[in-house]
Amino acid sequence: MASAESNPKAPRTLRAATASETAPGPHPMAGKEMSNADIILQVLADEGVDTVFGYSGGAILPTYDAIFRFNESHAKEEEVRLIVPATEQGAGFMAAGYARSSGRVGVFIVTSGPGATNAVTPIRDCQADSTPVVLITGQVPRVAMGTDAFQEAPVFNIMAGCAKQIYLVTDETKVEQTIRSAFEIARSGRPGPVVVDIPRDVQLAQQPFVGEGLLPMRGYEERQAALHSTKMSDAQAQDFYELLGSSSRPLLYVGGGVINAEAAVELTAFARHFKIPVVTTLLGIGAFDTTDPLSLRMLGMHGTAFANYAVEDCDFLIAVGSRFDDRVAGKVKEFAPNAKIAHLDVDASEIGKVKFVDWSHIADAKRGLAQLLKAGKEMGFKRDFEAWQKHVDGLRRGHPMNWNRESSYIQAEYVLAQLNEITKGEAFVSTGVGQHQMWAAQYIDFKRPRTWLTSGSMGTMGFGLPAAIGAQLANPDALVIDVDGDGSIRMNLGELETLTTYDIPVKVLLLNNQGDGMVRQWQDLFYANRYSGSDKTLHKKDFVKAVEADGFQFARRVTAADDVRRQLEEFVRFSGPAFLEVMVDPHEHVYPMIGPGAGYREMITGDFIPSRGDANTKAETPEGYF
Amino acid sequence: MRHTISVLVENEFGVLSRVTQLFSARGYNIESLTVAETLDSSISRITLVTRGDDRVVEQIEKQLNKLIPVIRVVDFGGSPHVEREMVLIKVRADAQTRPEVMNIVNIFRGKVIDAGKETFIIEITGDEGKIRAILELFEPLGIKEIVRTGKVALHRGTRVFGPLAQEGDGKAA
Repeated sequence: MASAESNPKAPRTLRAATASETAPGPHPMAGKEMSNADIILQVLADEGVDTVFGYSGGAILPTYDAIFRFNESHAKEEEVRLIVPATEQGAGFMAAGYARSSGRVGVFIVTSGPGATNAVTPIRDCQADSTPVVLITGQVPRVAMGTDAFQEAPVFNIMAGCAKQIYLVTDETKVEQTIRSAFEIARSGRPGPVVVDIPRDVQLAQQPFVGEGLLPMRGYEERQAALHSTKMSDAQAQDFYELLGSSSRPLLYVGGGVINAEAAVELTAFARHFKIPVVTTLLGIGAFDTTDPLSLRMLGMHGTAFANYAVEDCDFLIAVGSRFDDRVAGKVKEFAPNAKIAHLDVDASEIGKVKFVDWSHIADAKRGLAQLLKAGKEMGFKRDFEAWQKHVDGLRRGHPMNWNRESSYIQAEYVLAQLNEITKGEAFVSTGVGQHQMWAAQYIDFKRPRTWLTSGSMGTMGFGLPAAIGAQLANPDALVIDVDGDGSIRMNLGELETLTTYDIPVKVLLLNNQGDGMVRQWQDLFYANRYSGSDKTLHKKDFVKAVEADGFQFARRVTAADDVRRQLEEFVRFSGPAFLEVMVDPHEHVYPMIGPGAGYREMITGDFIPSRGDANTKAETPEGYF
Repeated sequence: MRHTISVLVENEFGVLSRVTQLFSARGYNIESLTVAETLDSSISRITLVTRGDDRVVEQIEKQLNKLIPVIRVVDFGGSPHVEREMVLIKVRADAQTRPEVMNIVNIFRGKVIDAGKETFIIEITGDEGKIRAILELFEPLGIKEIVRTGKVALHRGTRVFGPLAQEGDGKAA
């Protein structure tokens, strides 16, 4: 193990050893007899956890009691703050928002049975978007397991298919090691969620606290150590620069892996050094400053026209921390049809999974990009991509994002463009899922990683509000805005009250188009306008009254376009939680759009974004994959 | 194409279910599966047989390597190895067929481990071809029931499949 070799006394860890890591003495609490519930709290504190999210219940009561006692006996700044959501799903997305926005492991703690099953959706979401969280679930006592006891659910079985790792702790001597291992696993390698299921009687059992130690995971440790120690060989670097050298139109295609690896600096250095334009995936937004002249913003199904044209035109695609998802690649055979492909990723299983690649390297993006750039500089690689830059600038100028500026309805794109003029790429923005999510991705700038929080792979409606709460708690002084839709926000509406309960100053911008806009868009395009289940014009909810009832001091509705800017400014400036509903065009579509399973050549740009004209085909019934 | 894959795992709760879920979640089939402790009782060895083209099997290997409790994975395809499976066969062995049953058992170096008036239970160990052959010969005599252990496999020669530290070949799985 890398860390053990460089410093034999260093604590066992799966992270790359850092120079500042010194060998600590024994833990001050080592040897002390305490309940496993208290041990859990001590490990959380050791891990630097300042906030946990969760909902109590019978099987987790010993641990909730330990939280209370821990905070009672510690100074305010050492407390493990407990945030209680409306539902366990809310707790999970708060932990996810906390983790995504800070890079630290998010923690949520729920009870057995329904508490645990309500947590399945955020766990799967975290796995699909590689978000490091630890979930501790109470389980019925060991003697009751398997008897269909009150509030019993087979958490191991359910979570095993969704999480990066799941533990059921039936041995009361293993709780401490298990919780510590959960953190190591959650944040190492490709990050993900770890679930620890602990029967109530195991939480109550008394154990001597050790203060160190992980569960055995020889294979995983070896694989992590290999990730941290393998160097890109000279031959491999040579191969890469031969590909780059023989290309004239290179393009970086960047995903969430760059953000997870804290590699935005390395990416920016790499792109700027060689002057290679950058497209990002939905989850890669923030990895590269969207206001940078090399940025072409997002590619894919609803990517910008100029990004997608650049993908069509490029002859060398450099994928970094991205995985050729179906929303990106569309018709795989026709994706980047003229390009050689290089793929740098931390997860070996992603190499060649979807698309054959000409060059690959397995490393985290930070290490990989740094090594690649260093090798390029050392070999004095130089190549002029100026003609390509001019081409790309032409694409950007010729096919800019645009919307219907004549409509009597307020356009969501206009609202977001106005918001962007106020936030200038500096705000944290979370979203639900659907049209508002795509427009936010298209129209809002992000200068820094971890400021864009969205459910990408799972596409979980209801993500935005709880994720914003988690982000605000991790970044108390930041401006955090939940851009939400009326369908999505309903999914976790209870969390509006959480904002006022804890006085969390999240700004909730609701773009209300009276329905599930993205579903309606597909029904317009592929189902002859039959709005089965997606129309909400008969819904009676008055959102403004609802949030007033939740105690919001700022709760407004905007129905006129010329009122949007002023209201947005007051909304963003408001000191506490604020809610602004903007009634927007119910019939607008998100463009550009590459239909499901279609190739980039078939991109539809709509009525307001100039198409290149070579392929502005009408949408057809999608074939095969939805 | 059929592949025999061995997986070394931490001998802990739930590992087998994680491995089998990996297959079921992707719609891959497991044709046979055996699990037991190794020399080191903290490590279990799973041997499974699955079917798929090279791309599918490569994904299976890579996905197995992503499971935390998995220590190492090897696909025996392509490298010299031996495979064995044991089968218990309950075959009709009355006065008429008994001599023929015994003949077959002797030819295949099997063992009669239970003899009754009507049936024998035969124990036979071998590779896929041998087992197929004996089953074909018993078929006309009347096979009542069979149970198979599933395949196990080892590399030929000095090559050992163990945790990296034991193997000392310095190569990651």
